[in-house]
Amino acid sequence: MSAVRQSANGVFSMNGREWSLLVACLLAIVIFSVASPHYATSGNAATVLRNSVELLLTGLGMTLLLAMGGIDVSIGIVMGLAAIAIGRVLGADGNPALALLVGPLVGALLGCVTATVVVLGRVPAIVGTLGLLGVYRTAVFVLLGGQWLSGLPSSLTNVLATTVLGVPVPALVIAIAYLIIWLALRRTPYGLHLLAIGNSEEKARLSGIPVIKTRFMTFLISGFLTGIAATFYVATYRNVEMTIGSTLALDAIAAVILGGTSILGGKCSLIGTVLGVLLLRILQNGLLLIGVPSLWQPVVTGVLIIGVLGFEAVSNRLPLGLIQRARA
Amino acid sequence: MTEPFLVAKNIAKRFGALTALSNVDLEIRSGEVLALLGDNGAGKSTFIKILAGAHPPSEGELVIEGKSVAFSSPKDAASSGIATIFQELALSENLSIAENVFLGRELKRSIFGVPFLKRQEMRQRVDGLLKELDAHISDPEAPVGSLSGGQRQAVAICRALNLNAKLVIMDEPTAALAVAETRKVLALTRRLAARGCAVVLISHNISEVFEVADRIVVFRRGRKVAERLAAETNHEEVVSLITGAHPDVRALEKTN
Ligand SMILES: Nc1ncnc2c1ncn2[C@@H]1O[C@H](COP(=O)(O)OP(=O)(O)OP(=O)(O)O)[C@@H](O)[C@H]1O
Ligand SMILES: [Mg+2]
Repeated sequence: MSAVRQSANGVFSMNGREWSLLVACLLAIVIFSVASPHYATSGNAATVLRNSVELLLTGLGMTLLLAMGGIDVSIGIVMGLAAIAIGRVLGADGNPALALLVGPLVGALLGCVTATVVVLGRVPAIVGTLGLLGVYRTAVFVLLGGQWLSGLPSSLTNVLATTVLGVPVPALVIAIAYLIIWLALRRTPYGLHLLAIGNSEEKARLSGIPVIKTRFMTFLISGFLTGIAATFYVATYRNVEMTIGSTLALDAIAAVILGGTSILGGKCSLIGTVLGVLLLRILQNGLLLIGVPSLWQPVVTGVLIIGVLGFEAVSNRLPLGLIQRARA
Repeated sequence: MTEPFLVAKNIAKRFGALTALSNVDLEIRSGEVLALLGDNGAGKSTFIKILAGAHPPSEGELVIEGKSVAFSSPKDAASSGIATIFQELALSENLSIAENVFLGRELKRSIFGVPFLKRQEMRQRVDGLLKELDAHISDPEAPVGSLSGGQRQAVAICRALNLNAKLVIMDEPTAALAVAETRKVLALTRRLAARGCAVVLISHNISEVFEVADRIVVFRRGRKVAERLAAETNHEEVVSLITGAHPDVRALEKTN
């Protein structure tokens, strides 16, 4: 609850949880630098940031969804479908303008599909998006015909891998997305409605909040952000493989709850999500560099999720005196 | 006599196989405190949720100031001038007092078509309302979840007052309150009625009801079984109406 209050003060203001995440990031960097001579290089720093782009964008959307008491486990495959659409457009004539539009468009459309199932169809979000995940996985298989989409033209890369006034385009897009979402969350009625729904949908309804509209909008926004993420993905890798986005939902949920957003809804932290994404990517990259096979990455993420939720459950159940003593 | 503010005609509500309400006819007048009494499960909350737009009725019609209305949401009822303090309060524990008071009808200014909250103004209005209620809340920025039962009740009442409603419905507003706070709420119901507002009060405390109510309506097993002017009945009769021991109620229940 304190996160709601404290984060409301400023765009980047941080509470204790968020400071500890920052410290954890720095600590991890120090440890990996000592453990591996290849770690502390500007090239590796760029790799970590580059690998964070899709997760930051989808993580912001996931923050809104969890704050609302929702969830979407299909974002990885949605990114895959949007990436295929972008690849097809690029492959056809390489027109970057059209390619830039198609990702967010497909993402928003699929967000509408999710919202139709979950919000209008009243299927619980976890079940509805799991169902869609199954459907979309086959769709991706059929669309790709069991092969990779590879060797895409570099026209999109030429647009998105540039800098504006010295700032890389991905960083600029993420900063704009962050600011818009922060404003919507903390400065407009939408944010209050979202948090009220996350607290209790029935109470929100009794308060006269447009619950269905707000929930629908949020799934749409998350889909839109996933479509932007797909655009950066294609621009960077210039191919779409069968396994695209397979760990994206797991990573996003982990980063968001690591950042202090409640899995039960009603409370969220955008800066926490950004720090959660960075910590996750720093850990994954660092472990790889000290020789842990990439096969183990989802294990790290899974253990983090269970660890954070387990710790929160235990600390909420402990008698107040014990916690206060532990804090003192 | 003037036209009633609200007329409920032949209202019924079914939840699946369960009939929570049937054949309820009721008139609610401006400037009057109407008390709804009845046992647990008699259908009182269900009835006022229909008035509040939270449930659509299965049958029947609501007429407000002579016009038939059909509420599809609590927002519709609020725009018709009906403010409701629900038994479960319906406050968002994670939001602040000011945010709760204005939730669903925030003050906002439009900048490039985007509605931005007017937090400052909302804070000031809420400070004024809390003062008017004489509610002692040290930190209006605190989340409602950290308040006591009585303080939460005060926030819910602020919400209703803030609407400038023509009908204020309170479902067991004093159930969680200490003596002094109960007195304040009862005085408030009288003040609202004196201002020309219609008030519907649900309570299990019969002496409390006699203190403030002009009219008393008794529900039993989903039906309205009696209506009395408070001045023309007494504690004992009301108890027998609620329990069903009263001959009128027995006669009514025998015929059906
Ligand atoms: N949403 C619902 N779904 C199904 N049944 C309901 C619902 N709401 C109320 N009921 C049923 O309708 C009946 C009347 O309930 P209601 O809450 O109106 O009683 P009440 O008179 O307010 O009682 P109390 O004094 O305990 O508050 C009860 O049998 C209750 O179980
Ligand atoms: Mg009730």
